[in-house]
Formats: sequence, C-alpha cells, structure tokens
Amino acid sequence: MTLLPANNPTAQAVDSVLIYIFGLSLLLLLGITVVTIYFVIRYHRSRHPEPTSNVDHSLVLESVWTILPTLIVLTMFWYGWTNYVGLTEVPDGAMEVKGTARMWSWQFEYEDGRRESRLYVPVDTPVMVRLHSVDVLHSFFVPAFRIKKDTVPGMETFVWFQAPEPGSYDIFCAEYCGAGHADMLTTIEVLSADDYRAWLAAGQAPAGEHRGLVVMQEQGCLGCHSTDGSDGIGPSLFELAGASRQVEVEGQIHETTIDDAYLARAIRDANAEVVSGFAPMMPSYNEETISAEDLQAVVDYLMGRDDPAAGQQQLDGGKLLEVNGCLGCHSTDGSQSVGPTFAGIGARSVTLMRDGEDITQKVDADYLRRALLQPGADIVKGYPDIMPPSDYLEDAEIDAIINHLLQQ
Amino acid sequence: MTTTPLKSTGFYSESPRPGLLGWLLSTDHKRIGMLYLGCITTMFLVAVGLGLAIRLQLFAPGQHIMSAQTYNATFTVHGIIMIFLFIIPSIPAAFGNLLLPIQIGARDVSFPRINLLSWYFYISGAVLAVIAIFSGGGPPDTGWTFYVPFSTQTTTNVNLAVFAAFMLGFSSILTGINFVTTIHRLRAEGMTWGRLPLFVWTLYATAWIQVLATPMLGITLVLVMLERFFGAGLFDAASGGDPILFQHLFWIYSHPAVYIMILPAMGVISEIIPTFSRKPMFGYWAMAISSLAIAFAGSLVWAHHMYASGMSDFAILVFSLLTFIVAIPSAIKIFNWISTLYKGSIQLAPPMLFALAFILQFAIGGLGGLALGAAASDIHLHDTTFVVGHFHYTMFGGTGFAFFAALHYWLPKFTGRMYNQKTAVISWGLLFVGFNVTYMAMQAVGIQGMPRRYYDYLPEFHTLNMVATVGSWILALGLIVMFVNLFKSLRSGPVIGMNPWGGATLEWFVPSPPPMENFGEEDPVVTRGPYDYQGVTADEP
Repeated sequence: MTLLPANNPTAQAVDSVLIYIFGLSLLLLLGITVVTIYFVIRYHRSRHPEPTSNVDHSLVLESVWTILPTLIVLTMFWYGWTNYVGLTEVPDGAMEVKGTARMWSWQFEYEDGRRESRLYVPVDTPVMVRLHSVDVLHSFFVPAFRIKKDTVPGMETFVWFQAPEPGSYDIFCAEYCGAGHADMLTTIEVLSADDYRAWLAAGQAPAGEHRGLVVMQEQGCLGCHSTDGSDGIGPSLFELAGASRQVEVEGQIHETTIDDAYLARAIRDANAEVVSGFAPMMPSYNEETISAEDLQAVVDYLMGRDDPAAGQQQLDGGKLLEVNGCLGCHSTDGSQSVGPTFAGIGARSVTLMRDGEDITQKVDADYLRRALLQPGADIVKGYPDIMPPSDYLEDAEIDAIINHLLQQ
Repeated sequence: MTTTPLKSTGFYSESPRPGLLGWLLSTDHKRIGMLYLGCITTMFLVAVGLGLAIRLQLFAPGQHIMSAQTYNATFTVHGIIMIFLFIIPSIPAAFGNLLLPIQIGARDVSFPRINLLSWYFYISGAVLAVIAIFSGGGPPDTGWTFYVPFSTQTTTNVNLAVFAAFMLGFSSILTGINFVTTIHRLRAEGMTWGRLPLFVWTLYATAWIQVLATPMLGITLVLVMLERFFGAGLFDAASGGDPILFQHLFWIYSHPAVYIMILPAMGVISEIIPTFSRKPMFGYWAMAISSLAIAFAGSLVWAHHMYASGMSDFAILVFSLLTFIVAIPSAIKIFNWISTLYKGSIQLAPPMLFALAFILQFAIGGLGGLALGAAASDIHLHDTTFVVGHFHYTMFGGTGFAFFAALHYWLPKFTGRMYNQKTAVISWGLLFVGFNVTYMAMQAVGIQGMPRRYYDYLPEFHTLNMVATVGSWILALGLIVMFVNLFKSLRSGPVIGMNPWGGATLEWFVPSPPPMENFGEEDPVVTRGPYDYQGVTADEP
C-alpha cells in the first residue's frame, strides 16, 4: 500500500473535506456502537428479566437528535461545496492541454499541435486539461491530485492541477467504457523545468513543420527566445529579417542589420556579438550539435523563408498508431485483443462479413483505407463492430498509417 | 431424527386447486409471498455466485479466471439480478405479501389477482434476463446502469436485458398500487393509522415510490430501445442529443429505488428491536413520519450520482444540499432504535443479532454516504470501489441483513417449524465478519484511488483486494451455513406455536402456518398498539 501524495492544491481541497467528514462520522459511529453494546450487555434478559421503563417518546430528546445532526450535516455540505468550487477555478496563466479520450486510450494535444499518449507537464505550473471524448463516456481520474471529470461526447469539460514535485502519476479511466476500461491507463509525467525544456526540445515534429523550427524546438532555443516579440532571457526572434539591433562587440556598441551571416555567427559563436541589454550566457552550437544544413534551415526560418522540404516529410505510421489509440484494441505482437492484430497484416488475407456472407480478400491499401474510414462497412469475421471511424486524421497521416501497416 | 407432524398445515392444505396449479394460480397473498420468497432466494444465490467469481478474479492483479469481456458481463449480470430480481422485490414482494394483510387484520390484499399478475411479470422478467445471458451477442456488458452512449452502441444482448428490466418495473408498480390501496381500505376495525406496525408504514412509503418513480424507469428504458433500434438521437451528441440527459432520467428512478430497497428493511428492524427488547418502539410517530420523509426527500436527490458528469455547478450545489437533508430522517431512525433498547429486556435471538448488525452496517453505509454527498470529497471517491463498498454496506449490510433477519423472524411463522438457533448464531457470526472484512477493504482500496469495474488493477491495490476476496469466502461460508440451517428446518425443525418470540403484532396471534384467509370466521378487532407487550409472552419452547 502506498499513500497518495497530499502536497498539491486540489488534493488538499478534497482531503480537508474528507478528513472533516470521516472524522465526525467516526466519532458518531463510535458513539452509536458503544451505546448499543452497553445497552445490550446492561439490559440483557439474563440480568434484566423485565423492562423497567415503558417510555416511548421524548420530545426534547427527539428534537435534539433532529436539530443537531441537521446542523452538523449542513456544515459538511457547505465545506464540501466551497472546496469543490476551488476545483473549478483554474489559476490565471495555467498551461492548457487538450485531452481526448477514446476506446481505450488517452491523447494529449499541446498548443503547438504536438500529440502524446502521456501528459507531460512542467513542475509547479498550473495545468488545465480540456477534456473531450470521441466515442462514449470516459472519466479522467488522477488519484494523486484527487481530480476526476467525465469526458462527454459533444461537450468540453475540464480539470486543473498543479504538481509541486516531479514524478509519474497514474491517470485512470473511471467511467465504465467497455472491454478495455481497466487498461485505459496512462500517466502524468511531471518534469523539472530543465527536463521539461529538454522534452520540448526532443519533441517530434508535427506534420509539415518548418525544419528550422523543429531544430530550434529540439535544441530548446524557445525556452529563452520567444517567437512572439516578448523578450525573455534572450531577445525575441520575432520578425528578425532586415531589422537592426544594437550589439556589443568587445565592449563596443555597434549597430548591425540582421542577415544570414549575423544569425549564423550568433549561433556558432554566441557571445561574440551580444544584443545590448542581454547577458552573454548563450551556449555556442558547433557543427556537431547543429549541422550545416540545419543551421541553414534555422536561418531560413528566422529570415522568414519557406522550407522547401516541409510537408513532404516522412510521417511515422507506427507512432501515429500509438498516439491515436489504435494499439488499445490491436496488438502488434500477434496476441488476441479486441480487434485483429497488426502483426503480419500486410501479408495476409482477411475474412470479412458483408451482408451475411463471408468474403475473403487480400489486405491492400484500399482495404486498409476503408477499414480506417468506414470500419463498420466490412467487419473482420469474429470481431465486434465497435471501431470508430478515424476520419479526424489528415490524409497524409492515413497514408502513413497504411504504408506502415502494409510493411508489417 | 424424528419429525413431528404439524398440528395444522394452514394455507398449505387449504386451496381450491390441488398441487402445483394450486400455487401457480393462487391468489392467496401467503402463497404468492412464498412463490416470491422461493424465486428471490434462488436469484440471490445465483447472483452471489457471480459476485464470488468477481472477487476471485480480483484476488490478484492480472487476468485469472476470466477475460475483461467476461468480467464486464459478470458484474453487469450480478448487478441486474441483485438489483431488479433480488433487492427491489426482496422484502416488499416476499415479506410484504406474506405479512401486510395479516398485520393490518385483512384476509388478503385489495387486488389478489393483480397480485398474482405482478408475480407473473416478475417471473417473466427473470426468464427474459436469463435468456439475455445465453442468447444474441452474448451477455450484456453495460453495467446495471445502462449508461449511454455505450449502451446504445455495444453489440451484446442489451435489448433483451433492458426489456427484462422494463417487465420487472411493471411488477413493482402493480405491487405498489396493491399495497397503497390495501393499507387505505382493508385495515381491520380498530386498526387506526397510529396502530399500524412500522413495517406497514415503511411498505406504505415504499409503495408510493414504486407507483410514482418506477414509470420513469419504464420511459427511460423505452428511450434506450428507440435509440438502439431507430437511432432516435435523444442521447446522441452528434444528432443534437445529450448523453447526460439519460443519466438524469435513469437516476430519477434509480435513486428513489434505493429507498424502495432500504425502507422496508428499516421496517423489519423496527418490528424486531421492540419484540426482543419487550418495549414499545421509541418515537413511533417519528419513525412513521421519517419513512415518509425519506420517500419524499429521497426522490429529490438523484443527481448526486453525477457530480463528475459535466452537469452544471449550480445543480451540484442544489443536489448536494438536498442529499444532506435526506440523511436526517435516517439518523433519527438509528437513534430511535437504540433508544428502544434502553431499560428493555434484551434477548439476543438470531433475528435480533441480524437486526443489531443491520444498525451498525447501515450506520457505516450511511456515514460513508456523507463523504459522497459532499461535492469536493465525492470528486475523488466517485466511481471508485469506495462507492461499491458504500453501496454494499447499505444494500447488503443493510437490506440483505434485514432480509436475513426477516427470514429468521418470520419464516417459522409460515412454515410452522423452528430452525436450529445455535447454528443460526454461528451463521450470523460468519456473515458479520465476512461482510465487514470484504466491504471495508473494498472501501479502503477505493479511497486509495482504485476505480470500479476494473478486472485488473495496479500492484498497489493488491493487498486490500486480496483481503476483500478472503472476506468473501467467509461470507460465502456464512451463507451456506445459514441457508442449510433454514432449509433443514422446513422439514424437520421443531414445531412451534403461534408466538415463538413474544411479538405483539397480529401475525403472532394466528396459527403457524396461518390458515387460508388468516383469521377464521370472525374478523379481528384491534384494541391495542403493535408494540404493547403487556400480557404477551413467548411460547415455551
């Protein structure tokens, strides 16, 4: 048995009510039990062969034990309500993540479009999770933070929490949702500020992202440099092309127009020319960290030039299967699950039920596309008709999934 | 062992028709009551078996005796049978039918043929429920709550299960109409409202809920059918419907239904405590009125099942307040039962032991309910095994134990034979220990955060689940000892007289078993209260 952490604001709001109610209840229960046992022993027929009282009511007593419990439970009600309100009031400046539940997995989508099957958040930051469901009711439950909210199709609900310590915290589905209900588990990964920056940097590129931006995310540049004009630890990267800046070179202030050469220098030898007003603390990035091509891509991005390769990047079909929850029902190792396994799917035939007749066909791209977009049209024999259509995926993502499956 | 024959076989031998037909076509309330009792006990044992299987699967993490899908069907069928085929009809339909007319000095209920019809609805519902398990796309897997949109999408045999629940609802409505009318119209001369046994008061309050709330269940289940067959879209967000509407409709019946389940149980306890204390019930009117208050206030608290559902915060405020109000009449009852013991002459016979266990367990269930009624604490506890434990504390530790108390108190009256009381005390001890170990552990693991309806769980929940499963074995042993003991008494128990316990309500002044039409040639005239033990003594054993 492990005790749940009690160091975060939502847990404290719930726990104080729990302790108040359980504490009073325990006292009441103890009183009831002790008095009952005392009466049963004291007035047992062997000691007390005849009743010695025929009292059958008492207005005073009965009034007392009507009014007193009323007052007690009203305090419980009010305490419970006021602390509940705290669970609904998201602190200003909370980071927002969209959480989507589906049979039987979770997906978290960040403001930059990045999707993950675990919820990565920085420590000590209020996080608001906007909850959605694409199929049936689920419920987002994190015992460590005492938060729970149903995800309802067609409706947005939310929870918030703030984790004061890094760690991994379980997320359960608490609203029954079918065969995979108990396996619909994931975690909140609370990362230290540094780890979170590294996680941001290591992130996978969303489809069609400019290579320069991807490199900057990977390297964590955006932890210090904003892209929206607000200066952070370092100067903002907003609208740099052709702008002029005061830079300090060996104690002398120069006016410099920002061009490709300046940007390349600022990355390779960061502290040679520091923008006035900022501390010379940025690390330099050599050829090993950022290759010549990547450096050019970053410069292109900062100068506002398009990335010719963007949009034609290879999407990872395997990763898409994971973040979209497909693996909740389809195994990749050949084992039995709710849906057919993906192992060897590209090289086998399937028996389908169509209009009551069995049809056997080879798995090809057309079949897989139909199975993704209209799963109810042809059901593989022996499996339930419960898969939701994957029509929320981009065309490129569907192609990537199909290519990936055909190679299995 | 030699068996002494009964002096008179009462309603068992007096029937216009012989044999099985004499039972299946009987309109006698006692025969119908015995039919219900037999069916309900059978259903209870089936559902107990499923419950034990659930606990066995949860003995350790991982998949052992069943897959996730089988597990889901098992808890669904366990819930449907326990709720609709056992607890709801248990005390009102079985003991209500057996006792209500006798306790008010009547020869039968107002509508004896409708009474028989309600049993046919019950048994048809039961048969349909069984067919639902073995036909179609497999046993239903929605949970007994049938929450949409899952219940409108699953390919298992939900249609038939929903229809079965619909039929059972009608059985319940008909019984309710019958009891309300009977209590108003058929009280014997001198049986004023102030002389009604408290069991009758609780049946009266229950009957009103059955009549007023059960049609909501019927409507809701019809809407689920419309959704499944015609895609009506009422609960489907994509068509502009609202899944949360279903939850409101479902709980508008199903929350009052828990009072259908608990009120008659409270009535049983209110009969047993005075008899075995030989003292009038303390606060008779408070007990009678609190039953009506529970029935009324209990109809206004349904959405306390929905704090985490996404409904508005204002609704949470209102329903949380109302929920705490309904706690008060329940508290009054507990205080009055205990006060009745004061300066009494207490005999710890088996019915009394079950009644005392009821008080403790119902108190634990009720007090645990406070943490679920408060908005903030419910957010953590909702949909965990704490709720399952709490529910079993009130429904099993409460109503179930009251059912056992009623069996030990009244079964001899209707069989004419006493069970072995020493064995009954042993079974009580096993049940009391097994029950509390099982469900206290279940509540504790829920506080730790284990969600309900999980066939598999994380390692940190292992210890308490193991404890709960071991508890369920003690519980099972207690049930076996109890039912074997009671069953043996049917044939070979010592013959009893009219009044083995020294009860003062009317059923203790007719032969055991009672004759057809209960009172012989002359209608009874009531001249004293139900708990006036002056001059009433128990038969010498």
